[in-house]
Amino acid sequence: MNTKRFGFAGVFAAFALAFSTLVAPSASAATEILVWADESRGPNLVKALATKSDWVPGYTVKVVTFSGFDALKAALDLATDSSGPDLVVGANDWVPAFAKSGKLAPYVPTAALKARFNPTQFLDLTYKGKVYGVPVDINNVAMIYNTKLVSSAPKTFGEMVSTYKSLKASKSLKAGLCIAGGGMSWGAHSVFSALGADAYQFNSRGGIVYGRTFSAATFGANVRKYLMDGKKSNGFFPATDTGCKDNFLAGNVPYAVIGNWEWADYVAKGFTMNLMPVPGVTEGTYGHMFGSVSGALLTSFAAKHGTEAGAKSLLTNFFASTDGQVRYQNLEKRPPAEKGAQSDASVSAAQRGFGSAASLAGIPQVGAFLNNNKGGANYWDSAPAYWTAVLIDGKDAVKEASKLAAIWRANVEAGKGDL
Amino acid sequence: MRASFSPASLFHPTELGRISMTYLIRGKVALFLKVVAVGLISAVLLMLAQSSFAQHEYVISAFLALTMLALALTYLTKISIPLKFFIPGILLLIAFVIGPILYTVTMSGFNYKTGNLVSKEEAIVQIKARAVEAAPSGISFDLKLGRYKGQEAILVSDIANLTYFVSTADNRIPVAANDVTLNEYGVAITAPDFSALTDAEMAGADKTYSNVNFAYEGIYFIALEGFEAGIVSQQSLEYIADKDQFKNLINGSVYSDNGRGNYALPDDKTAILEPGWRAPIWFENYTKILTDSRVRGPLVRVFIWTVVFALLTVLTTFALGLLLALALNKPIHGRRIYRSILVLPYAMPSVMSILIWGGMFNTEFGAINTLLGTHIAWFSDPNFARVAVILVNLWLGFPYFYLISSGSLQAIPSELLEAAAIDGANPRQIFRKITLPLLLQILSPLLIASFAFNFNNFNLIYLLTGGGPRNELDGQIAGATDILISYTYKIAFGTGTQDLGLASAISLIIFVLVASISLYGLRKSKVLETFA
Repeated sequence: MNTKRFGFAGVFAAFALAFSTLVAPSASAATEILVWADESRGPNLVKALATKSDWVPGYTVKVVTFSGFDALKAALDLATDSSGPDLVVGANDWVPAFAKSGKLAPYVPTAALKARFNPTQFLDLTYKGKVYGVPVDINNVAMIYNTKLVSSAPKTFGEMVSTYKSLKASKSLKAGLCIAGGGMSWGAHSVFSALGADAYQFNSRGGIVYGRTFSAATFGANVRKYLMDGKKSNGFFPATDTGCKDNFLAGNVPYAVIGNWEWADYVAKGFTMNLMPVPGVTEGTYGHMFGSVSGALLTSFAAKHGTEAGAKSLLTNFFASTDGQVRYQNLEKRPPAEKGAQSDASVSAAQRGFGSAASLAGIPQVGAFLNNNKGGANYWDSAPAYWTAVLIDGKDAVKEASKLAAIWRANVEAGKGDL
Repeated sequence: MRASFSPASLFHPTELGRISMTYLIRGKVALFLKVVAVGLISAVLLMLAQSSFAQHEYVISAFLALTMLALALTYLTKISIPLKFFIPGILLLIAFVIGPILYTVTMSGFNYKTGNLVSKEEAIVQIKARAVEAAPSGISFDLKLGRYKGQEAILVSDIANLTYFVSTADNRIPVAANDVTLNEYGVAITAPDFSALTDAEMAGADKTYSNVNFAYEGIYFIALEGFEAGIVSQQSLEYIADKDQFKNLINGSVYSDNGRGNYALPDDKTAILEPGWRAPIWFENYTKILTDSRVRGPLVRVFIWTVVFALLTVLTTFALGLLLALALNKPIHGRRIYRSILVLPYAMPSVMSILIWGGMFNTEFGAINTLLGTHIAWFSDPNFARVAVILVNLWLGFPYFYLISSGSLQAIPSELLEAAAIDGANPRQIFRKITLPLLLQILSPLLIASFAFNFNNFNLIYLLTGGGPRNELDGQIAGATDILISYTYKIAFGTGTQDLGLASAISLIIFVLVASISLYGLRKSKVLETFA
């Protein structure tokens, strides 16, 4: 290499070093709390946080928005000490896996803070006795009915089936009740429950009863009575959720179960409908729906960033406070989890409607039970499989219900250690 | 042409007048551009190397640094002219093919799953952090951060009992109620010898104060839960570094490294501390494939369907593509329009097509059942589901074979076909004896590539049937349309936990299978010899 070449190498090296200095990422400031959220919550959190400057005195809060819940989860999976957030607004069923892997850090809510929430909501955010965040909003479903097809709220499940049968021919109905939101396991739990099959059982004090499950004979008999015509489905309840929303909006289905996040879309389409829980087989009873919460979760990265106390203060002062939840839910339009915010005058009627449906018939979604595979399958896989086996394949409703009950009992028994 | 580098001479008017293509490729401008290009690329690489080093990704950092060096040596010296053309490909091959394969091989020998994702050092840090537990009393206090006689301290308010105290790491100092100033919530904000931190000071002192256990009573201390509240807590575990053990301070039990990435009790292997870490378990993930009935049971059935699916896909898409290519090889009216229409399925994003087909096959509301007047449970019956998968893949794949078959037909010398016709061969004989063998010779590598692609066609299966139908109620894991890759995904990621080590082991087996089948196919079609 001659001297000219050395000269070139020198130019190159100087250029490279100078350029790399210009573009090298600067470490985030230690007085900044980094929050990750999905594409819906993120922009609304930015706006809500901007309405007040001293949520955590001395700190600024930066919200990074991801394109969706899956992208957010994948990013948290890959997050490192330098890239990870201090807080993440995520699903309750993320807690077991992320806590187990050390991505989340425990948070100890004071008694005063706990009192501002329904106690079961913290079950959603608990793993092995430790809480990993605070409840932010309630995700639940409720049943809507097309007021052009049905004039009044049905009192029992049987009444809905009768209405469907009487209107089927004249209104060219394609189904009676379908699941438009939440899928055939999470969204359909209220139908399971209305017919007698709850994912897990509660005692009179609200505690979960381990090792007990629903009566397969009762549930199977109800399925036969209300959903079957001999060995075939009577067409009232489709085994899948595909096409439900379109057909409900087209007036081909009188009842549908929708998620609270979808309400605005139905309203925007100019639809007239009423909101209620799925009625049970006897008057005055309702099918339980999962009233799961999304949580603001503390990560283990906060301690490494030197922002742990600040992040915990943001949980207390913003995410778990009446003021914070009202400001945020006025934008996000989901039912707030905090009791004070739930009763705030500025919360919309739909938010209150879903909130009251949740308080009337909501149960916590406990990932420790529903996500584990003990018993052969987990809740998410076995629930849709029941509808397919009975309504499509024509298998025996009671026999298949026994298998389902066995799986769920094993799930709950195995999951109690994770609570 | 040897160039001397001087920015002044580079842009001299007489030089500018002589700019030509040759000058741009080999002259001073070319040299300048080369230095700038290498400089820019190296700057980006340096930045990435620095960033990965900061994140303790030392292998990636070293590779990026070596890449930078290799580029500089190759393009700024005359070490090897051919290398100037090969080096980008070689580096990309190492980064995106060889690197991931080596990483997969390595990870297949590790206990690498949910709960065992971090390093051992990191796991120890986190177990220590989780060892601080709220006391059974559940007492919490409002507090103010500050300094007491130069030490980090908190001014604690027991609002229920109207008592106050200052707490440091070593002492708890009672403060009389009349010595404190209260804010509107009844929380003490000033006390003798206690100076509260300002907002800015608090933010700067976060880490320091978060790591202090402020004195309370006996084994109990106050841990911060934010700047405004503290929880009475206790230390439940102690790390004994020289023995590499954790001791439970409440019941005395000792957790030791179990050699599988967790601290566990010696007499109860399931009693482990979390999180665990990535630990080598050598061939256990491979033996698990043979010994775990969940994995082993359906493997043969899934493998057979994978081969059948890939073969049927290649055969049907090739047959339909070739048929259409032959039909449109004749000068017919509106040929260009037909050709454009036939390419449309290929132009549409496959994800969208698959989802649309999924909706059309829906039992209750789908267009196919509506048009046929049937009530076929397409995705609930194993055979119908398999037919649906093949049909959708035919729709997605035939335009590709139509395009390459059309091109290949043009490449067959017309003299051959004319000679055969003169010799009395009919069109069927010409196709069977001349056109098809020649086409197969040309298209064999593409047919094999298509087979290999469909062997791992995860998107189609995942989006269309999810691998189903399967009877979860009877404990089935593999569905009727699951192929090896979707089955692997289900085992590794389908239960809320991720078993990346096991997934790596199965992926390697799939890799070996596909590589073997492809190599065998290439050998049989004598394509390698043709290339040689």
